[in-house]
Amino acid sequence: MIRFDHVGKTYPGGTTAVEDFSLTIDSHASVVLVGTSGSGKTTLMRMVNRMVDPTSGRVLIDDEDVAGVDPVKLRRSIGYVMQASGLLPHRTVAENVATVPLLEGVSRRRSRSRALALLEMVGLDHRLGDRYPSQLSGGQQQRVGVARALASDPNILLMDEPFGAVDPIVRAELQKELLRLQSELGKTILFVTHDIDEAFLIGEQVVILRPGGEIAQQGTPAEILADPADDFVESFVGSGVGKRALHVDEVSGQQVVLDAGDRPVGVLREGSRS
Amino acid sequence: MSTTSTSATQVLFDAPGPRGRRRILLISIVSSLAILALIALGLWQFQRNGQLAADKWLPYLRRDYIAFLGKGLMGTLEATAVAAVIAFPFGLVLALGRISRARALSAISAVWIEFFRGIPMLLVVYAFLLALPAYGVNLPRFWMLVVPMILVSSASTAEVFRAGIGAVDRGQDEASAAIGLSRGQTMRYVILPQAVRLVLPSLILALVSLLKDSTLGFVVSFNELQFQGKTMVSITRFLVQTYVVVSVIYIVLNFLLTKAAGLLERRMRRRAAEGGGRSR
Ligand SMILES: Nc1ncnc2c1ncn2[C@@H]1O[C@H](COP(=O)(O)OP(=O)(O)OP(=O)(O)O)[C@@H](O)[C@H]1O
Ligand SMILES: [Mg+2]
Repeated sequence: MIRFDHVGKTYPGGTTAVEDFSLTIDSHASVVLVGTSGSGKTTLMRMVNRMVDPTSGRVLIDDEDVAGVDPVKLRRSIGYVMQASGLLPHRTVAENVATVPLLEGVSRRRSRSRALALLEMVGLDHRLGDRYPSQLSGGQQQRVGVARALASDPNILLMDEPFGAVDPIVRAELQKELLRLQSELGKTILFVTHDIDEAFLIGEQVVILRPGGEIAQQGTPAEILADPADDFVESFVGSGVGKRALHVDEVSGQQVVLDAGDRPVGVLREGSRS
Repeated sequence: MSTTSTSATQVLFDAPGPRGRRRILLISIVSSLAILALIALGLWQFQRNGQLAADKWLPYLRRDYIAFLGKGLMGTLEATAVAAVIAFPFGLVLALGRISRARALSAISAVWIEFFRGIPMLLVVYAFLLALPAYGVNLPRFWMLVVPMILVSSASTAEVFRAGIGAVDRGQDEASAAIGLSRGQTMRYVILPQAVRLVLPSLILALVSLLKDSTLGFVVSFNELQFQGKTMVSITRFLVQTYVVVSVIYIVLNFLLTKAAGLLERRMRRRAAEGGGRSR
Protein backbone atom coordinates (compact mmCIF):
# COMPACT_ATOMS: atom_id res chain seq x y z
CA MET A 1 0.00 0.00 0.00
CA ILE A 2 1.23 3.47 -0.92
CA ARG A 3 -0.16 6.46 0.91
CA PHE A 4 0.37 10.11 0.03
CA ASP A 5 -0.37 12.09 3.17
CA HIS A 6 -0.88 15.79 2.42
CA VAL A 7 2.30 15.99 0.35
CA GLY A 8 3.46 19.20 -1.29
CA LYS A 9 6.52 20.09 -3.33
CA THR A 10 7.98 23.49 -4.02
CA TYR A 11 11.15 23.29 -6.11
CA PRO A 12 14.21 25.37 -5.20
CA GLY A 13 13.41 27.74 -8.06
CA GLY A 14 10.09 28.57 -6.41
CA THR A 15 7.77 26.50 -8.63
CA THR A 16 5.09 24.81 -6.59
CA ALA A 17 4.50 21.58 -8.48
CA VAL A 18 2.21 20.02 -5.89
CA GLU A 19 0.20 21.93 -3.28
CA ASP A 20 -1.51 19.41 -1.04
CA PHE A 21 -2.10 15.91 -2.31
CA SER A 22 -3.48 12.89 -0.54
CA LEU A 23 -4.16 9.48 -2.04
CA THR A 24 -4.10 5.88 -0.94
CA ILE A 25 -3.15 3.14 -3.37
CA ASP A 26 -4.07 -0.36 -2.27
CA SER A 27 -1.65 -3.22 -2.71
CA HIS A 28 -1.94 -5.00 -6.06
CA ALA A 29 -4.04 -2.16 -7.44
CA SER A 30 -3.16 -0.27 -10.58
CA VAL A 31 -3.72 3.45 -10.29
CA VAL A 32 -3.21 5.95 -13.07
CA LEU A 33 -2.42 9.60 -12.55
CA VAL A 34 -3.55 11.54 -15.57
CA GLY A 35 -3.33 15.26 -16.19
CA THR A 36 -2.01 17.91 -18.49
CA SER A 37 1.69 18.64 -18.85
CA GLY A 38 3.12 20.25 -15.76
CA SER A 39 0.35 19.12 -13.43
CA GLY A 40 2.89 17.48 -11.13
CA LYS A 41 2.48 13.84 -12.12
CA THR A 42 6.17 13.05 -12.37
CA THR A 43 6.86 14.96 -9.19
CA LEU A 44 4.28 12.89 -7.28
CA MET A 45 5.54 9.62 -8.69
CA ARG A 46 9.13 10.39 -7.78
CA MET A 47 8.18 11.07 -4.19
CA VAL A 48 7.52 7.35 -3.86
CA ASN A 49 11.11 6.32 -4.57
CA ARG A 50 12.65 9.50 -3.16
CA MET A 51 13.96 10.87 -6.42
CA VAL A 52 12.01 13.87 -5.16
CA ASP A 53 11.60 14.61 -1.46
CA PRO A 54 8.34 16.36 -0.57
CA THR A 55 8.66 19.78 1.04
CA SER A 56 5.58 19.04 3.14
CA GLY A 57 3.67 15.93 4.10
CA ARG A 58 4.75 12.29 3.95
CA VAL A 59 4.71 9.32 1.64
CA LEU A 60 4.21 5.98 3.31
CA ILE A 61 4.75 2.51 1.93
CA ASP A 62 3.02 -0.12 4.05
CA ASP A 63 2.75 2.50 6.79
CA GLU A 64 6.48 3.25 6.81
CA ASP A 65 7.54 6.82 5.99
CA VAL A 66 9.90 6.59 3.02
CA ALA A 67 11.83 9.61 4.32
CA GLY A 68 13.45 7.23 6.79
CA VAL A 69 14.53 4.68 4.18
CA ASP A 70 17.91 4.81 2.45
CA PRO A 71 17.16 6.07 -1.10
CA VAL A 72 19.37 3.53 -2.85
CA LYS A 73 17.80 0.63 -0.95
CA LEU A 74 14.34 2.03 -1.50
CA ARG A 75 14.83 2.42 -5.25
CA ARG A 76 16.13 -1.10 -5.62
CA SER A 77 12.92 -2.39 -4.08
CA ILE A 78 10.75 -0.40 -6.48
CA GLY A 79 10.62 -0.85 -10.24
CA TYR A 80 10.76 2.33 -12.30
CA VAL A 81 10.06 2.65 -16.01
CA MET A 82 10.61 6.00 -17.66
CA GLN A 83 9.51 7.50 -20.94
CA ALA A 84 12.83 7.28 -22.72
CA SER A 85 13.78 3.78 -21.68
CA GLY A 86 16.91 5.11 -19.96
CA LEU A 87 18.90 2.04 -20.93
CA LEU A 88 22.68 2.14 -20.66
CA PRO A 89 23.98 2.34 -24.27
CA HIS A 90 27.33 0.71 -23.51
CA ARG A 91 25.86 -2.46 -22.04
CA THR A 92 24.01 -5.26 -23.74
CA VAL A 93 20.29 -5.67 -23.22
CA ALA A 94 20.81 -8.60 -20.87
CA GLU A 95 23.40 -6.67 -18.86
CA ASN A 96 21.01 -3.76 -18.65
CA VAL A 97 18.29 -5.93 -17.22
CA ALA A 98 20.71 -7.57 -14.79
CA THR A 99 22.43 -4.37 -13.62
CA VAL A 100 20.95 -4.27 -10.15
CA PRO A 101 20.95 -8.02 -9.45
CA LEU A 102 24.66 -8.03 -10.37
CA LEU A 103 25.35 -5.18 -7.97
CA GLU A 104 23.43 -7.02 -5.28
CA GLY A 105 25.88 -9.88 -5.65
CA VAL A 106 23.83 -12.36 -7.66
CA SER A 107 26.22 -14.51 -9.71
CA ARG A 108 26.81 -13.68 -13.37
CA ARG A 109 25.26 -16.91 -14.61
CA ARG A 110 22.16 -16.66 -12.49
CA SER A 111 21.49 -13.01 -13.19
CA ARG A 112 21.94 -13.61 -16.90
CA SER A 113 19.52 -16.49 -17.07
CA ARG A 114 17.05 -14.49 -15.02
CA ALA A 115 17.48 -11.53 -17.38
CA LEU A 116 16.76 -13.73 -20.38
CA ALA A 117 13.68 -15.15 -18.68
CA LEU A 118 12.49 -11.60 -17.97
CA LEU A 119 12.95 -10.67 -21.61
CA GLU A 120 10.72 -13.57 -22.63
CA MET A 121 8.24 -12.49 -20.01
CA VAL A 122 7.88 -9.02 -21.53
CA GLY A 123 7.46 -10.57 -24.96
CA LEU A 124 11.00 -10.32 -26.35
CA ASP A 125 13.06 -13.08 -27.91
CA HIS A 126 15.85 -13.91 -25.47
CA ARG A 127 18.33 -13.73 -28.34
CA LEU A 128 17.94 -9.96 -28.22
CA GLY A 129 19.77 -10.14 -24.91
CA ASP A 130 23.16 -9.88 -26.57
CA ARG A 131 22.31 -6.81 -28.62
CA TYR A 132 22.97 -3.24 -27.60
CA PRO A 133 19.99 -0.98 -26.86
CA SER A 134 20.64 1.11 -29.97
CA GLN A 135 20.04 -2.01 -32.05
CA LEU A 136 16.45 -2.31 -30.83
CA SER A 137 13.32 -0.49 -31.91
CA GLY A 138 11.73 2.05 -29.58
CA GLY A 139 9.00 -0.38 -28.58
CA GLN A 140 11.53 -3.13 -27.88
CA GLN A 141 13.59 -0.72 -25.78
CA GLN A 142 10.52 0.09 -23.71
CA ARG A 143 9.93 -3.62 -23.11
CA VAL A 144 13.52 -3.94 -21.94
CA GLY A 145 12.86 -1.01 -19.61
CA VAL A 146 9.94 -2.94 -18.13
CA ALA A 147 12.03 -6.10 -17.83
CA ARG A 148 14.73 -4.16 -16.00
CA ALA A 149 12.19 -2.67 -13.62
CA LEU A 150 11.00 -6.20 -12.81
CA ALA A 151 14.52 -7.55 -12.31
CA SER A 152 14.59 -7.27 -8.53
CA ASP A 153 11.02 -8.59 -8.30
CA PRO A 154 9.66 -5.41 -6.71
CA ASN A 155 6.22 -5.16 -5.18
CA ILE A 156 5.73 -1.69 -6.58
CA LEU A 157 6.07 -0.58 -10.18
CA LEU A 158 6.27 3.10 -11.06
CA MET A 159 5.69 3.89 -14.72
CA ASP A 160 6.13 7.44 -15.98
CA GLU A 161 4.59 7.76 -19.44
CA PRO A 162 6.34 4.53 -20.37
CA PHE A 163 4.67 4.29 -23.77
CA GLY A 164 4.68 7.99 -24.63
CA ALA A 165 7.47 7.83 -27.20
CA VAL A 166 6.25 4.98 -29.41
CA ASP A 167 3.76 5.00 -32.27
CA PRO A 168 0.08 4.25 -31.57
CA ILE A 169 0.14 0.69 -32.87
CA VAL A 170 3.14 -0.31 -30.81
CA ARG A 171 1.67 1.56 -27.87
CA ALA A 172 -1.54 -0.46 -28.06
CA GLU A 173 0.56 -3.64 -28.13
CA LEU A 174 2.57 -2.57 -25.12
CA GLN A 175 -0.57 -1.64 -23.20
CA LYS A 176 -2.07 -5.05 -23.85
CA GLU A 177 1.16 -6.68 -22.78
CA LEU A 178 1.20 -4.68 -19.56
CA LEU A 179 -2.35 -5.75 -18.74
CA ARG A 180 -1.39 -9.36 -19.30
CA LEU A 181 1.72 -8.97 -17.12
CA GLN A 182 -0.31 -7.34 -14.40
CA SER A 183 -2.87 -10.14 -14.38
CA GLU A 184 0.03 -12.58 -13.88
CA LEU A 185 2.12 -10.61 -11.42
CA GLY A 186 -0.35 -8.52 -9.43
CA LYS A 187 2.08 -5.69 -8.64
CA THR A 188 1.05 -2.40 -7.13
CA ILE A 189 1.27 -0.11 -10.14
CA LEU A 190 1.38 3.66 -10.17
CA PHE A 191 1.16 4.75 -13.77
CA VAL A 192 1.44 8.27 -15.16
CA THR A 193 0.12 9.43 -18.50
CA HIS A 194 -1.54 12.38 -20.13
CA ASP A 195 -3.51 10.13 -22.47
CA ILE A 196 -6.98 9.62 -21.02
CA ASP A 197 -7.64 6.54 -23.18
CA GLU A 198 -4.52 4.93 -21.82
CA ALA A 199 -5.56 5.88 -18.30
CA PHE A 200 -8.97 4.24 -18.69
CA LEU A 201 -7.40 1.14 -20.20
CA ILE A 202 -4.68 0.59 -17.62
CA GLY A 203 -6.18 1.96 -14.42
CA GLU A 204 -8.53 0.20 -12.06
CA GLN A 205 -8.55 3.58 -10.40
CA VAL A 206 -7.94 6.79 -12.32
CA VAL A 207 -6.93 10.06 -10.70
CA ILE A 208 -7.41 13.17 -12.82
CA LEU A 209 -5.13 16.02 -11.84
CA ARG A 210 -5.38 19.73 -12.28
CA PRO A 211 -2.19 21.84 -12.31
CA GLY A 212 -0.62 21.94 -8.85
CA GLY A 213 -1.38 18.28 -8.28
CA GLU A 214 -4.95 19.03 -7.27
CA ILE A 215 -7.27 16.07 -7.66
CA ALA A 216 -10.14 16.94 -9.99
CA GLN A 217 -11.74 13.54 -9.71
CA GLN A 218 -10.84 10.01 -8.81
CA GLY A 219 -12.66 6.78 -9.35
CA THR A 220 -13.02 3.84 -11.67
CA PRO A 221 -13.13 4.69 -15.39
CA ALA A 222 -16.84 3.87 -15.44
CA GLU A 223 -17.57 6.16 -12.51
CA ILE A 224 -15.71 9.04 -14.09
CA LEU A 225 -17.38 8.58 -17.45
CA ALA A 226 -20.79 8.22 -15.88
CA ASP A 227 -20.51 11.19 -13.64
CA PRO A 228 -17.77 13.70 -14.45
CA ALA A 229 -17.22 15.92 -11.44
CA ASP A 230 -17.09 19.19 -13.35
CA ASP A 231 -16.47 20.84 -16.72
CA PHE A 232 -12.71 20.34 -16.43
CA VAL A 233 -13.10 16.58 -16.08
CA GLU A 234 -15.78 16.46 -18.72
CA SER A 235 -13.63 18.23 -21.27
CA PHE A 236 -10.61 16.19 -20.23
CA VAL A 237 -12.29 12.83 -20.74
CA GLY A 238 -14.15 14.19 -23.74
CA SER A 239 -17.45 12.73 -22.57
CA GLY A 240 -19.39 15.64 -24.02
CA VAL A 241 -18.04 15.22 -27.52
CA GLY A 242 -16.64 12.90 -30.15
CA LYS A 243 -16.22 9.21 -29.75
CA ARG A 244 -17.24 9.15 -26.10
CA ALA A 245 -20.61 10.87 -26.52
CA LEU A 246 -22.46 7.79 -27.62
CA HIS A 247 -26.18 7.38 -28.02
CA VAL A 248 -28.42 4.47 -28.91
CA ASP A 249 -30.73 4.22 -31.85
CA GLU A 250 -33.00 1.42 -32.91
CA VAL A 251 -32.37 -0.02 -36.35
CA SER A 252 -34.41 -3.03 -37.54
CA GLY A 253 -35.01 -4.24 -33.99
CA GLN A 254 -31.36 -3.90 -32.91
CA GLN A 255 -29.96 -1.32 -30.47
CA VAL A 256 -27.20 0.36 -32.45
CA VAL A 257 -24.69 2.62 -30.69
CA LEU A 258 -23.83 5.84 -32.50
CA ASP A 259 -21.22 8.48 -31.74
CA ALA A 260 -21.71 12.26 -31.67
CA GLY A 261 -21.47 12.37 -35.46
CA ASP A 262 -24.17 9.67 -35.79
CA ARG A 263 -21.61 7.15 -37.03
CA PRO A 264 -22.38 3.62 -35.84
CA VAL A 265 -19.69 2.23 -33.54
CA GLY A 266 -21.38 -0.94 -32.29
CA VAL A 267 -24.41 -2.89 -31.28
CA LEU A 268 -25.86 -2.91 -27.78
CA ARG A 269 -26.29 -6.30 -26.12
CA GLU A 270 -27.93 -6.80 -22.75
CA GLY A 271 -25.34 -7.64 -20.09
CA SER A 272 -22.80 -8.72 -22.67
CA ARG A 273 -19.60 -9.01 -20.71
CA SER A 274 -17.64 -11.79 -22.22
CA MET B 1 34.42 16.30 -28.53
CA SER B 2 31.10 14.52 -28.76
CA THR B 3 30.44 12.38 -31.77
CA THR B 4 27.16 14.12 -32.36
CA SER B 5 28.81 17.48 -32.94
CA THR B 6 31.12 16.08 -35.60
CA SER B 7 28.29 14.48 -37.53
CA ALA B 8 26.29 17.66 -37.04
CA THR B 9 28.89 19.63 -38.97
CA GLN B 10 28.44 17.26 -41.87
CA VAL B 11 24.77 18.00 -41.82
CA LEU B 12 25.13 21.73 -41.34
CA PHE B 13 27.50 22.34 -44.22
CA ASP B 14 26.20 21.60 -47.67
CA ALA B 15 28.32 19.38 -49.84
CA PRO B 16 30.04 21.72 -52.30
CA GLY B 17 28.43 22.01 -55.75
CA PRO B 18 30.31 21.63 -59.07
CA ARG B 19 31.62 25.22 -59.00
CA GLY B 20 32.73 24.91 -55.37
CA ARG B 21 34.39 21.59 -56.12
CA ARG B 22 36.31 23.12 -59.04
CA ARG B 23 37.48 25.97 -56.83
CA ILE B 24 38.60 23.55 -54.12
CA LEU B 25 40.50 21.55 -56.73
CA LEU B 26 42.18 24.68 -58.04
CA ILE B 27 43.24 25.81 -54.57
CA SER B 28 44.58 22.33 -53.83
CA ILE B 29 46.66 22.29 -57.00
CA VAL B 30 48.06 25.78 -56.46
CA SER B 31 49.00 25.14 -52.83
CA SER B 32 50.54 21.76 -53.68
CA LEU B 33 52.63 23.44 -56.37
CA ALA B 34 53.71 26.12 -53.90
CA ILE B 35 54.79 23.52 -51.36
CA LEU B 36 56.66 21.55 -54.02
CA ALA B 37 58.38 24.76 -55.13
CA LEU B 38 59.49 25.48 -51.56
CA ILE B 39 60.85 21.98 -51.16
CA ALA B 40 62.64 22.29 -54.51
CA LEU B 41 64.12 25.60 -53.42
CA GLY B 42 65.39 24.04 -50.21
CA LEU B 43 66.82 21.08 -52.05
CA TRP B 44 68.48 23.39 -54.53
CA GLN B 45 70.06 25.34 -51.69
CA PHE B 46 71.30 22.10 -50.12
CA GLN B 47 72.58 21.00 -53.50
CA ARG B 48 74.52 24.24 -53.95
CA ASN B 49 76.14 23.78 -50.55
CA GLY B 50 76.88 20.14 -51.22
CA GLN B 51 74.46 18.91 -48.55
CA LEU B 52 72.89 16.37 -50.85
CA ALA B 53 76.12 14.51 -51.47
CA ALA B 54 75.63 10.79 -51.04
CA ASP B 55 78.45 10.45 -48.53
CA LYS B 56 76.57 12.76 -46.21
CA TRP B 57 73.40 10.62 -46.30
CA LEU B 58 74.50 7.05 -46.73
CA PRO B 59 75.96 6.79 -43.21
CA TYR B 60 72.40 6.85 -41.88
CA LEU B 61 72.02 3.33 -43.18
CA ARG B 62 75.03 2.20 -41.17
CA ARG B 63 74.31 -0.03 -38.24
CA ASP B 64 76.05 2.20 -35.67
CA TYR B 65 74.14 5.29 -36.84
CA ILE B 66 70.86 3.40 -36.68
CA ALA B 67 71.74 2.03 -33.25
CA PHE B 68 72.61 5.49 -31.99
CA LEU B 69 69.38 7.09 -33.15
CA GLY B 70 67.46 3.91 -32.28
CA LYS B 71 68.56 4.31 -28.69
CA GLY B 72 67.16 7.82 -28.77
CA LEU B 73 63.93 6.59 -30.27
CA MET B 74 63.60 3.99 -27.53
CA GLY B 75 64.20 6.71 -24.93
CA THR B 76 61.50 8.88 -26.49
CA LEU B 77 58.99 6.05 -26.66
CA GLU B 78 59.76 4.94 -23.14
CA ALA B 79 59.39 8.42 -21.68
CA THR B 80 56.15 8.97 -23.59
CA ALA B 81 54.69 5.61 -22.64
CA VAL B 82 55.58 5.85 -18.96
CA ALA B 83 54.32 9.42 -18.76
CA ALA B 84 51.04 8.48 -20.45
CA VAL B 85 50.44 5.42 -18.30
CA ILE B 86 50.74 7.56 -15.19
CA ALA B 87 49.39 10.87 -16.46
CA PHE B 88 46.11 9.63 -17.94
CA PRO B 89 44.75 7.88 -14.86
CA PHE B 90 46.02 10.79 -12.76
CA GLY B 91 44.23 13.17 -15.11
CA LEU B 92 41.04 11.21 -14.55
CA VAL B 93 41.49 11.46 -10.79
CA LEU B 94 42.03 15.23 -11.11
CA ALA B 95 38.88 15.54 -13.23
CA LEU B 96 36.86 13.60 -10.67
CA GLY B 97 38.32 15.83 -7.97
CA ARG B 98 37.34 18.92 -9.86
CA ILE B 99 33.72 17.87 -10.32
CA SER B 100 33.47 16.48 -6.79
CA ARG B 101 30.83 17.90 -4.48
CA ALA B 102 33.45 18.37 -1.78
CA ARG B 103 34.24 22.06 -2.14
CA ALA B 104 37.81 21.92 -0.84
CA LEU B 105 38.76 18.97 -3.03
CA SER B 106 37.21 20.62 -6.06
CA ALA B 107 39.03 23.90 -5.42
CA ILE B 108 42.40 22.23 -4.90
CA SER B 109 41.99 20.18 -8.07
CA ALA B 110 40.98 23.25 -10.05
CA VAL B 111 43.99 25.26 -8.90
CA TRP B 112 46.34 22.33 -9.56
CA ILE B 113 44.92 21.81 -13.05
CA GLU B 114 45.00 25.48 -14.02
CA PHE B 115 48.53 25.89 -12.67
CA PHE B 116 50.04 23.05 -14.65
CA ARG B 117 47.97 23.81 -17.70
CA GLY B 118 49.18 27.38 -17.74
CA ILE B 119 52.87 26.96 -16.99
CA PRO B 120 55.32 26.21 -19.82
CA MET B 121 56.74 22.74 -19.37
CA LEU B 122 60.27 24.02 -19.72
CA LEU B 123 59.87 25.87 -16.42
CA VAL B 124 58.73 22.71 -14.70
CA VAL B 125 61.73 20.86 -16.10
CA TYR B 126 64.03 23.61 -14.82
CA ALA B 127 62.41 23.35 -11.42
CA PHE B 128 63.31 19.66 -11.28
CA LEU B 129 66.76 20.26 -12.73
CA LEU B 130 67.85 23.34 -10.80
CA ALA B 131 65.55 24.17 -7.89
CA LEU B 132 64.74 20.83 -6.32
CA PRO B 133 68.34 19.55 -6.08
CA ALA B 134 69.02 22.56 -3.85
CA TYR B 135 66.58 20.96 -1.40
CA GLY B 136 68.25 17.60 -1.71
CA VAL B 137 65.74 16.13 -4.17
CA ASN B 138 67.77 14.43 -6.86
CA LEU B 139 65.90 12.40 -9.42
CA PRO B 140 67.41 10.22 -12.12
CA ARG B 141 67.45 11.97 -15.53
CA PHE B 142 64.61 9.87 -16.85
CA TRP B 143 62.30 11.03 -14.06
CA MET B 144 63.53 14.62 -14.27
CA LEU B 145 61.97 14.58 -17.71
CA VAL B 146 59.02 12.27 -17.12
CA VAL B 147 57.69 13.80 -13.89
CA PRO B 148 57.22 17.24 -15.50
CA MET B 149 55.63 15.51 -18.48
CA ILE B 150 53.19 13.79 -16.14
CA LEU B 151 52.39 17.00 -14.26
CA VAL B 152 51.65 18.98 -17.40
CA SER B 153 49.89 16.24 -19.34
CA SER B 154 47.68 15.11 -16.47
CA ALA B 155 46.42 18.67 -16.09
CA SER B 156 45.37 18.92 -19.70
CA THR B 157 43.92 15.39 -19.87
CA ALA B 158 41.96 16.21 -16.71
CA GLU B 159 40.11 18.80 -18.74
CA VAL B 160 39.61 16.31 -21.56
CA PHE B 161 38.03 13.85 -19.13
CA ARG B 162 35.91 16.55 -17.56
CA ALA B 163 34.54 17.53 -20.96
CA GLY B 164 33.86 13.86 -21.71
CA ILE B 165 31.97 13.39 -18.46
CA GLY B 166 29.97 16.51 -19.24
CA ALA B 167 29.13 15.19 -22.69
CA VAL B 168 27.42 12.05 -21.39
CA ASP B 169 23.65 12.33 -21.68
CA ARG B 170 22.12 13.76 -18.49
CA GLY B 171 19.26 11.28 -18.72
CA GLN B 172 21.77 8.58 -17.82
CA ASP B 173 22.16 10.10 -14.36
CA GLU B 174 18.44 10.01 -13.85
CA ALA B 175 18.04 6.48 -15.19
CA SER B 176 20.82 5.27 -12.91
CA ALA B 177 19.28 6.92 -9.87
CA ALA B 178 15.90 5.43 -10.73
CA ILE B 179 17.18 1.85 -10.73
CA GLY B 180 18.99 2.42 -7.46
CA LEU B 181 22.62 3.11 -8.25
CA SER B 182 24.47 5.28 -5.75
CA ARG B 183 26.32 8.35 -7.01
CA GLY B 184 29.61 6.51 -6.96
CA GLN B 185 28.19 3.50 -8.79
CA THR B 186 26.60 5.77 -11.37
CA MET B 187 29.97 7.39 -12.04
CA ARG B 188 31.80 4.09 -12.15
CA TYR B 189 29.44 1.89 -14.11
CA VAL B 190 27.52 4.37 -16.22
CA ILE B 191 29.17 7.75 -16.74
CA LEU B 192 32.88 6.89 -16.88
CA PRO B 193 32.67 4.00 -19.36
CA GLN B 194 30.77 6.26 -21.74
CA ALA B 195 32.97 9.30 -21.10
CA VAL B 196 36.21 7.39 -21.67
CA ARG B 197 34.89 6.09 -24.97
CA LEU B 198 34.00 9.62 -26.00
CA VAL B 199 37.46 11.01 -25.24
CA LEU B 200 39.55 8.14 -26.61
CA PRO B 201 40.49 10.03 -29.81
CA SER B 202 41.47 13.09 -27.75
CA LEU B 203 43.63 10.91 -25.52
CA ILE B 204 45.56 9.63 -28.54
CA LEU B 205 46.14 13.23 -29.55
CA ALA B 206 47.41 13.87 -26.03
CA LEU B 207 49.99 11.18 -26.78
CA VAL B 208 51.20 13.30 -29.69
CA SER B 209 51.82 16.27 -27.42
CA LEU B 210 53.53 14.02 -24.87
CA LEU B 211 55.82 12.81 -27.62
CA LYS B 212 56.69 16.37 -28.47
CA ASP B 213 57.11 17.31 -24.81
CA SER B 214 59.69 14.54 -24.46
CA THR B 215 62.04 16.56 -26.70
CA LEU B 216 62.72 18.70 -23.64
CA GLY B 217 64.82 15.74 -22.56
CA PHE B 218 67.85 17.59 -23.96
CA VAL B 219 67.56 20.02 -21.01
CA VAL B 220 68.21 17.25 -18.53
CA SER B 221 70.50 15.32 -20.89
CA PHE B 222 68.19 12.34 -21.09
CA ASN B 223 68.91 10.17 -24.10
CA GLU B 224 65.74 10.72 -26.07
CA LEU B 225 65.67 11.01 -29.83
CA GLN B 226 66.33 14.72 -30.18
CA PHE B 227 69.14 14.68 -27.61
CA GLN B 228 70.76 11.76 -29.41
CA GLY B 229 70.43 13.76 -32.62
CA LYS B 230 72.14 16.73 -31.02
CA THR B 231 74.97 14.54 -29.77
CA MET B 232 75.29 12.97 -33.19
CA VAL B 233 75.62 16.39 -34.81
CA SER B 234 78.44 17.34 -32.47
CA ILE B 235 80.27 14.14 -33.41
CA THR B 236 79.57 13.86 -37.14
CA ARG B 237 78.99 17.54 -38.03
CA PHE B 238 76.08 16.37 -40.22
CA LEU B 239 73.71 19.07 -38.94
CA VAL B 240 71.17 19.25 -41.74
CA GLN B 241 71.09 15.53 -42.41
CA THR B 242 70.69 14.51 -38.77
CA TYR B 243 67.85 16.89 -38.08
CA VAL B 244 66.08 15.94 -41.29
CA VAL B 245 66.23 12.26 -40.30
CA VAL B 246 65.15 13.00 -36.73
CA SER B 247 62.29 15.20 -37.94
CA VAL B 248 61.08 12.53 -40.32
CA ILE B 249 60.97 10.02 -37.50
CA TYR B 250 58.90 12.39 -35.33
CA ILE B 251 56.58 13.24 -38.18
CA VAL B 252 55.98 9.59 -39.04
CA LEU B 253 55.28 8.72 -35.40
CA ASN B 254 52.85 11.57 -34.91
CA PHE B 255 51.23 10.95 -38.25
CA LEU B 256 50.54 7.36 -37.26
CA LEU B 257 49.08 8.43 -33.92
CA THR B 258 46.87 11.10 -35.47
CA LYS B 259 45.75 8.60 -38.08
CA ALA B 260 44.84 6.12 -35.34
CA ALA B 261 42.84 8.79 -33.54
CA GLY B 262 40.97 9.67 -36.72
CA LEU B 263 40.25 6.02 -37.43
CA LEU B 264 38.91 5.50 -33.95
CA GLU B 265 36.72 8.57 -34.12
CA ARG B 266 35.28 7.55 -37.47
CA ARG B 267 34.54 4.09 -36.15
CA MET B 268 32.77 5.57 -33.14
CA ARG B 269 30.78 7.94 -35.31
CA ARG B 270 29.73 5.08 -37.55
CA ARG B 271 28.65 3.06 -34.58
CA ALA B 272 26.64 5.96 -33.23
CA ALA B 273 25.00 6.35 -36.63
CA GLU B 274 24.18 2.66 -36.93
CA GLY B 275 22.16 2.82 -33.76
CA GLY B 276 19.60 5.12 -35.37
CA GLY B 277 17.19 4.92 -32.45
CA ARG B 278 19.71 5.59 -29.74
CA SER B 279 18.39 5.02 -26.26
CA ARG B 280 17.94 8.41 -24.74
N1 LIG C 1 13.70 19.66 -10.94
C1 LIG C 1 12.81 20.67 -11.06
N2 LIG C 1 13.16 21.93 -10.71
C2 LIG C 1 12.28 22.94 -10.81
N3 LIG C 1 11.03 22.81 -11.25
C3 LIG C 1 10.61 21.59 -11.61
C4 LIG C 1 11.48 20.46 -11.54
N4 LIG C 1 10.81 19.37 -11.98
C5 LIG C 1 9.58 19.81 -12.31
N5 LIG C 1 9.44 21.14 -12.08
C6 LIG C 1 8.23 21.95 -12.31
O1 LIG C 1 7.17 21.40 -11.56
C7 LIG C 1 6.00 21.37 -12.31
C8 LIG C 1 5.45 19.96 -12.41
O2 LIG C 1 6.38 19.18 -13.11
P1 LIG C 1 6.18 17.62 -13.36
O3 LIG C 1 7.38 17.15 -14.08
O4 LIG C 1 5.85 16.96 -12.09
O5 LIG C 1 4.92 17.64 -14.33
P2 LIG C 1 4.27 16.45 -15.16
O6 LIG C 1 2.85 16.41 -14.75
O7 LIG C 1 5.05 15.22 -14.99
O8 LIG C 1 4.38 17.00 -16.63
P3 LIG C 1 4.64 16.19 -18.00
O9 LIG C 1 3.34 15.60 -18.40
O10 LIG C 1 5.07 17.26 -18.95
O11 LIG C 1 5.70 15.19 -17.74
C9 LIG C 1 6.31 22.00 -13.66
O12 LIG C 1 5.91 23.35 -13.63
C10 LIG C 1 7.80 21.88 -13.75
O13 LIG C 1 8.33 22.97 -14.48
MG1 LIG D 1 6.26 14.05 -16.33
